[in-house]
Amino acid sequence: MQLNTQFMWETFLDVLQGIPVTLKIVVVTLLVSSPLGFLMAVSKSGEGRIGRRIIVAYVSVIRGTPVVLQILFLYSLLPTVLNYLIKEVLGSSYNIFNLDPIFYAYVVFILNTTAVLSEVFRSALSTVNRGQMEAALSIGMSRPQAYVRIIMPQALVAALPNICNTTVNLLKSTSLAFMMTVKDITAIAKIDASFGYNYLEAYLVIFVVYIFLCSAVQGVFHLTEQGVAVYKKPVVS
Amino acid sequence: MLKVKEVQKAFGDNQVLRGVDIEVAKGDIVVILGPSGSGKTTFLRCLNFLERADGGTMDFDGIHTELKSASKAVVSRVRKKTAFVFQNYNLFQNKTALQNVTEGLIVARKVPKAEALARAKAALDKVGLSDRYDYYPSQLSGGQQQRVGIARAIAVDPDVLLFDEPTSALDPELIGEVLAVMKKLAKEGATMIIVTHEMTFAQEVASKVIFMDGGVIVEQGSAKQIFTTPKEERTIQFLRRVLKDFDYVI
Repeated sequence: MQLNTQFMWETFLDVLQGIPVTLKIVVVTLLVSSPLGFLMAVSKSGEGRIGRRIIVAYVSVIRGTPVVLQILFLYSLLPTVLNYLIKEVLGSSYNIFNLDPIFYAYVVFILNTTAVLSEVFRSALSTVNRGQMEAALSIGMSRPQAYVRIIMPQALVAALPNICNTTVNLLKSTSLAFMMTVKDITAIAKIDASFGYNYLEAYLVIFVVYIFLCSAVQGVFHLTEQGVAVYKKPVVS
Repeated sequence: MLKVKEVQKAFGDNQVLRGVDIEVAKGDIVVILGPSGSGKTTFLRCLNFLERADGGTMDFDGIHTELKSASKAVVSRVRKKTAFVFQNYNLFQNKTALQNVTEGLIVARKVPKAEALARAKAALDKVGLSDRYDYYPSQLSGGQQQRVGIARAIAVDPDVLLFDEPTSALDPELIGEVLAVMKKLAKEGATMIIVTHEMTFAQEVASKVIFMDGGVIVEQGSAKQIFTTPKEERTIQFLRRVLKDFDYVI
């Protein structure tokens, strides 16, 4: 057996064009999911009983089903529903089937990551002891002020390792976006491979690409952790 | 200046406070003694609305309110007139010693930044931490952390300082430095309500001693009165037990 190195190099160059797509899904998902997940974590630890039940149900549905199934399900359901809404309810002539499939990828991964992050933030919030909230109230700060200035910054630092995990998992999950015809790294490799049945070579190439990307993400988080956790460092005297 | 009446508080079926009255004049040092579970900490927390009492009224420097139904505005006014020192310090872990003190001034009381800094530094100097402004709580000893806690409380210039067992979480050798700071404040005329188990300290500084048990005030009077001629059987028992603690030799 011999590897077609020429093909591997060409595939690598092709795949590079998929990296922005993959990263776009990751970044958009994180930007939307982080605040949503945080709000859910806060309201889960708050008083609203109905809200809490809805959140618990949502999280267990998402966590209790495979991502692949979520993709298959939503990718079958969403276009049909949206088409009906646009045509019948809004009376518009917009063709939903022309929509860039990356939007479906956003929806699936946002739904997923929000659920995961809400749990990440919930556990992070619980690491900040209640006494600090009381101390803030006792010197006259309001609850929101205490949250923003005292509790949140510490919770975020505590959450960083888990956010890193979530991000890496998300990045890897985006390889499933090819099922929704999104041209990400994996999709490009598969397409290239299918012309001459060079699947092994194509997969080897993106193997390396994913390792590189995931390592980069972990590196970034590692540096951030060191930067923000100054208050945890012992004093050097 | 501060007068609360008939404070009631229950946690579920557990009636912790069964009608506690207290009157504090300016400059008073009130020490609350009592066995664990007697309700002293809960009572102190009710004064600052960290715990919402089920009943009772408060008259505080022109504010008159029911404790149970006090509005947000009233709670906020009372909190701005009081300051709380916690058993576990409860310092803001993500802020330096100096920021711990300025936080309440700048954010809650809208004091201009320069003035807040000056006041915070003065407060830290007073508790003997002029060389620890930029240290984070995790870099300070327990005694130093509690002194930052005290600085945070006095910086806001409260009418009444509330101390909840301020030395209970400290190593024996660090207790002294915290008590010394508190004595200094007492001498300067601060009004304080202190829950503590430090009997010697109580005898020395208290202008009024309250003995609580089972959610009620069993006996109150001057330090001398309570420590030398207690009237109630329960007080005598308690004092005999806690004062005996200091008898043994290691």
